[in-house]
Amino acid sequence: MSEHRPFHRAQPRDWWAHKPYLGYTLRELTGLGVALYGGILLAGLVCLSRGAEAFDSYRRFLASPLSLLIHLLLLAVMLWHVVTWFQTMPKTMPKLILGGRHVPQQRLTVLGVLLAFVCSAVLIAAVVAVGGLS
Amino acid sequence: MITHTQPKRSMAPIFWLLFGAGGMLSALFGPALIILTGIMIPHGWGLPAGFGDFTHVLAFVHNPIGKLVVLAVISLFFWHGAERMFLTLKDMRAGDLSLLRLATYGVAALLTLVTLALLLAVGF
Repeated sequence: MSEHRPFHRAQPRDWWAHKPYLGYTLRELTGLGVALYGGILLAGLVCLSRGAEAFDSYRRFLASPLSLLIHLLLLAVMLWHVVTWFQTMPKTMPKLILGGRHVPQQRLTVLGVLLAFVCSAVLIAAVVAVGGLS
Repeated sequence: MITHTQPKRSMAPIFWLLFGAGGMLSALFGPALIILTGIMIPHGWGLPAGFGDFTHVLAFVHNPIGKLVVLAVISLFFWHGAERMFLTLKDMRAGDLSLLRLATYGVAALLTLVTLALLLAVGF
Protein backbone atom coordinates (compact mmCIF):
# COMPACT_ATOMS: atom_id res chain seq x y z
CA MET A 1 0.00 0.00 0.00
CA SER A 2 1.17 3.48 -0.81
CA GLU A 3 2.38 5.68 2.04
CA HIS A 4 0.87 8.71 0.35
CA ARG A 5 -2.81 8.81 1.24
CA PRO A 6 -3.94 12.46 1.39
CA PHE A 7 -7.26 13.22 3.02
CA HIS A 8 -9.89 14.60 0.67
CA ARG A 9 -12.87 16.16 2.35
CA ALA A 10 -16.05 15.64 0.37
CA GLN A 11 -17.12 18.89 -1.27
CA PRO A 12 -20.59 19.29 -2.76
CA ARG A 13 -20.69 20.34 -6.42
CA ASP A 14 -22.69 23.47 -5.56
CA TRP A 15 -20.28 24.72 -2.88
CA TRP A 16 -20.13 28.12 -4.64
CA ALA A 17 -23.87 28.73 -4.04
CA HIS A 18 -23.57 28.58 -0.24
CA LYS A 19 -21.94 30.59 2.52
CA PRO A 20 -19.12 31.37 3.04
CA TYR A 21 -18.39 31.14 -0.70
CA LEU A 22 -21.51 32.96 -1.90
CA GLY A 23 -19.88 36.38 -1.44
CA TYR A 24 -16.97 35.26 -3.60
CA THR A 25 -19.35 33.98 -6.28
CA LEU A 26 -21.35 37.23 -6.33
CA ARG A 27 -18.14 39.28 -6.59
CA GLU A 28 -16.89 37.18 -9.51
CA LEU A 29 -20.29 37.41 -11.25
CA THR A 30 -19.90 41.21 -11.48
CA GLY A 31 -17.33 40.41 -14.20
CA LEU A 32 -20.20 39.01 -16.28
CA GLY A 33 -22.15 42.28 -15.81
CA VAL A 34 -19.12 44.35 -16.87
CA ALA A 35 -18.68 42.18 -19.98
CA LEU A 36 -22.44 42.35 -20.79
CA TYR A 37 -22.26 46.14 -20.75
CA GLY A 38 -19.29 45.91 -23.14
CA GLY A 39 -21.54 43.74 -25.33
CA ILE A 40 -24.28 46.40 -25.38
CA LEU A 41 -21.69 48.98 -26.52
CA LEU A 42 -20.36 46.55 -29.17
CA ALA A 43 -23.94 46.02 -30.45
CA GLY A 44 -24.14 49.81 -30.87
CA LEU A 45 -20.88 49.80 -32.85
CA VAL A 46 -22.21 47.01 -35.10
CA CYS A 47 -25.40 49.02 -35.77
CA LEU A 48 -23.34 52.20 -36.34
CA SER A 49 -21.25 50.47 -39.02
CA ARG A 50 -24.47 49.33 -40.78
CA GLY A 51 -25.75 52.85 -41.27
CA ALA A 52 -28.20 55.42 -39.93
CA GLU A 53 -31.30 53.18 -40.10
CA ALA A 54 -29.74 50.36 -38.08
CA PHE A 55 -28.36 52.81 -35.53
CA ASP A 56 -31.79 54.44 -35.11
CA SER A 57 -33.35 51.08 -34.24
CA TYR A 58 -30.51 50.55 -31.70
CA ARG A 59 -31.36 53.96 -30.20
CA ARG A 60 -35.07 53.04 -30.08
CA PHE A 61 -34.15 49.94 -28.08
CA LEU A 62 -32.00 52.02 -25.70
CA ALA A 63 -34.98 54.34 -25.10
CA SER A 64 -37.30 51.41 -24.22
CA PRO A 65 -38.36 50.57 -20.64
CA LEU A 66 -36.73 47.12 -20.97
CA SER A 67 -33.38 48.74 -21.77
CA LEU A 68 -33.79 51.14 -18.84
CA LEU A 69 -34.40 48.17 -16.52
CA ILE A 70 -31.36 46.31 -17.89
CA HIS A 71 -29.15 49.37 -17.44
CA LEU A 72 -30.38 49.97 -13.87
CA LEU A 73 -29.52 46.32 -13.06
CA LEU A 74 -26.12 46.68 -14.73
CA LEU A 75 -25.54 49.89 -12.75
CA ALA A 76 -26.23 48.04 -9.48
CA VAL A 77 -23.82 45.27 -10.54
CA MET A 78 -21.21 47.87 -11.55
CA LEU A 79 -21.49 49.65 -8.18
CA TRP A 80 -20.97 46.30 -6.38
CA HIS A 81 -17.92 45.79 -8.63
CA VAL A 82 -16.57 49.22 -7.54
CA VAL A 83 -16.91 48.36 -3.82
CA THR A 84 -15.50 44.83 -4.07
CA TRP A 85 -12.71 45.96 -6.41
CA PHE A 86 -11.37 48.41 -3.85
CA GLN A 87 -11.92 45.89 -1.03
CA THR A 88 -9.67 43.45 -2.89
CA MET A 89 -7.06 45.97 -4.09
CA PRO A 90 -5.30 46.57 -0.71
CA LYS A 91 -4.97 42.78 -0.26
CA THR A 92 -3.16 42.42 -3.61
CA MET A 93 -0.56 45.18 -3.06
CA PRO A 94 2.41 45.51 -0.67
CA LYS A 95 1.83 47.12 2.71
CA LEU A 96 1.57 50.87 2.19
CA ILE A 97 3.64 52.90 4.65
CA LEU A 98 3.29 56.71 4.57
CA GLY A 99 5.35 58.90 6.92
CA GLY A 100 6.42 55.84 8.90
CA ARG A 101 2.82 54.78 9.51
CA HIS A 102 1.07 51.75 8.10
CA VAL A 103 -2.02 52.77 6.11
CA PRO A 104 -4.84 50.38 7.09
CA GLN A 105 -6.57 48.40 4.30
CA GLN A 106 -9.98 49.80 5.14
CA ARG A 107 -8.78 53.37 4.55
CA LEU A 108 -7.43 52.39 1.10
CA THR A 109 -10.85 50.89 0.28
CA VAL A 110 -12.64 54.10 1.29
CA LEU A 111 -10.15 56.24 -0.69
CA GLY A 112 -10.57 54.01 -3.75
CA VAL A 113 -14.36 54.21 -3.70
CA LEU A 114 -14.14 58.00 -3.24
CA LEU A 115 -11.73 58.24 -6.20
CA ALA A 116 -14.18 56.20 -8.32
CA PHE A 117 -17.04 58.50 -7.31
CA VAL A 118 -15.01 61.59 -8.28
CA CYS A 119 -13.94 60.09 -11.64
CA SER A 120 -17.51 59.11 -12.57
CA ALA A 121 -18.96 62.47 -11.40
CA VAL A 122 -16.33 64.42 -13.39
CA LEU A 123 -17.04 62.37 -16.54
CA ILE A 124 -20.81 62.94 -16.29
CA ALA A 125 -20.30 66.66 -15.56
CA ALA A 126 -17.92 67.00 -18.54
CA VAL A 127 -20.37 65.29 -20.94
CA VAL A 128 -23.30 67.41 -19.66
CA ALA A 129 -21.12 70.54 -20.13
CA VAL A 130 -20.31 69.52 -23.73
CA GLY A 131 -24.03 68.87 -24.31
CA GLY A 132 -24.89 72.32 -22.95
CA LEU A 133 -22.39 73.98 -25.30
CA SER A 134 -23.61 72.15 -28.42
CA MET B 1 23.72 15.20 -12.57
CA ILE B 2 22.21 18.65 -12.38
CA THR B 3 20.34 19.83 -15.44
CA HIS B 4 19.47 23.47 -15.83
CA THR B 5 16.19 23.93 -17.58
CA GLN B 6 14.36 27.18 -18.18
CA PRO B 7 11.05 27.29 -16.30
CA LYS B 8 8.10 27.18 -18.67
CA ARG B 9 6.86 30.68 -19.40
CA SER B 10 3.27 31.31 -18.43
CA MET B 11 0.70 33.38 -20.33
CA ALA B 12 -1.14 34.10 -17.07
CA PRO B 13 0.47 37.54 -16.36
CA ILE B 14 -0.84 38.88 -19.70
CA PHE B 15 -4.42 37.86 -18.89
CA TRP B 16 -3.96 39.15 -15.35
CA LEU B 17 -2.79 42.55 -16.66
CA LEU B 18 -5.80 42.85 -19.03
CA PHE B 19 -8.09 41.78 -16.16
CA GLY B 20 -6.60 44.44 -13.86
CA ALA B 21 -6.75 47.18 -16.50
CA GLY B 22 -10.39 46.39 -17.28
CA GLY B 23 -11.25 46.16 -13.59
CA MET B 24 -9.71 49.54 -12.79
CA LEU B 25 -11.19 51.26 -15.87
CA SER B 26 -14.68 49.91 -15.10
CA ALA B 27 -14.38 50.71 -11.38
CA LEU B 28 -13.42 54.34 -12.05
CA PHE B 29 -15.65 55.15 -15.04
CA GLY B 30 -18.11 52.23 -15.42
CA PRO B 31 -20.96 53.73 -13.35
CA ALA B 32 -20.73 57.04 -15.28
CA LEU B 33 -20.62 55.22 -18.64
CA ILE B 34 -23.76 53.18 -17.83
CA ILE B 35 -25.60 56.29 -16.58
CA LEU B 36 -24.56 58.25 -19.70
CA THR B 37 -24.97 55.71 -22.54
CA GLY B 38 -27.81 53.68 -21.02
CA ILE B 39 -29.92 56.21 -19.14
CA MET B 40 -29.19 59.92 -19.78
CA ILE B 41 -28.39 59.98 -23.52
CA PRO B 42 -31.20 57.63 -24.74
CA HIS B 43 -33.86 59.46 -22.70
CA GLY B 44 -32.47 62.97 -23.24
CA TRP B 45 -32.22 63.51 -19.49
CA GLY B 46 -29.83 66.41 -18.88
CA LEU B 47 -28.57 66.24 -22.46
CA PRO B 48 -29.89 67.47 -25.84
CA ALA B 49 -32.16 64.94 -27.62
CA GLY B 50 -29.81 64.63 -30.63
CA PHE B 51 -26.68 64.12 -28.49
CA GLY B 52 -26.42 60.38 -29.22
CA ASP B 53 -27.72 60.38 -32.80
CA PHE B 54 -26.04 58.73 -35.79
CA THR B 55 -24.02 61.74 -36.99
CA HIS B 56 -22.69 62.65 -33.53
CA VAL B 57 -21.69 59.09 -32.58
CA LEU B 58 -20.16 58.54 -36.05
CA ALA B 59 -18.11 61.74 -35.62
CA PHE B 60 -16.93 60.44 -32.22
CA VAL B 61 -15.67 57.12 -33.62
CA HIS B 62 -14.15 58.86 -36.67
CA ASN B 63 -11.80 60.64 -34.26
CA PRO B 64 -8.65 58.58 -33.51
CA ILE B 65 -8.91 59.32 -29.78
CA GLY B 66 -12.61 58.37 -29.87
CA LYS B 67 -11.64 55.08 -31.55
CA LEU B 68 -9.06 54.41 -28.84
CA VAL B 69 -11.59 55.11 -26.07
CA VAL B 70 -14.19 52.78 -27.62
CA LEU B 71 -11.61 50.03 -28.20
CA ALA B 72 -10.23 50.32 -24.65
CA VAL B 73 -13.65 50.30 -22.97
CA ILE B 74 -15.19 47.44 -24.97
CA SER B 75 -12.16 45.12 -25.14
CA LEU B 76 -10.87 45.64 -21.58
CA PHE B 77 -14.40 45.11 -20.17
CA PHE B 78 -14.52 41.80 -22.08
CA TRP B 79 -11.04 40.73 -20.87
CA HIS B 80 -11.99 41.62 -17.30
CA GLY B 81 -15.15 39.50 -17.44
CA ALA B 82 -13.28 36.67 -19.22
CA GLU B 83 -10.63 36.34 -16.48
CA ARG B 84 -13.25 36.36 -13.70
CA MET B 85 -15.41 33.80 -15.49
CA PHE B 86 -12.44 31.56 -16.35
CA LEU B 87 -11.16 31.40 -12.76
CA THR B 88 -14.66 30.94 -11.31
CA LEU B 89 -15.67 28.21 -13.77
CA LYS B 90 -12.30 26.54 -13.09
CA ASP B 91 -13.02 26.61 -9.35
CA MET B 92 -16.52 25.23 -10.04
CA ARG B 93 -14.86 22.43 -12.08
CA ALA B 94 -17.32 23.30 -14.82
CA GLY B 95 -15.37 21.53 -17.54
CA ASP B 96 -12.16 20.85 -19.38
CA LEU B 97 -9.67 23.73 -18.92
CA SER B 98 -8.95 24.23 -22.63
CA LEU B 99 -12.70 24.38 -23.29
CA LEU B 100 -13.11 26.96 -20.50
CA ARG B 101 -10.21 29.01 -21.94
CA LEU B 102 -11.87 28.98 -25.36
CA ALA B 103 -15.23 30.05 -23.88
CA THR B 104 -13.71 32.96 -21.92
CA TYR B 105 -10.33 34.19 -23.27
CA GLY B 106 -11.30 32.97 -26.74
CA VAL B 107 -14.54 34.99 -26.78
CA ALA B 108 -12.75 38.09 -25.42
CA ALA B 109 -10.02 37.80 -28.07
CA LEU B 110 -12.55 37.32 -30.87
CA LEU B 111 -14.72 40.26 -29.77
CA THR B 112 -11.61 42.47 -29.43
CA LEU B 113 -10.75 41.71 -33.08
CA VAL B 114 -14.39 42.37 -34.14
CA THR B 115 -14.33 45.74 -32.31
CA LEU B 116 -11.01 46.66 -33.95
CA ALA B 117 -12.28 45.66 -37.40
CA LEU B 118 -15.52 47.67 -36.99
CA LEU B 119 -13.62 50.74 -35.79
CA LEU B 120 -11.44 50.56 -38.92
CA ALA B 121 -14.45 49.81 -41.16
CA VAL B 122 -16.38 52.95 -40.12
CA GLY B 123 -13.47 55.02 -41.47
CA PHE B 124 -11.65 58.09 -40.22
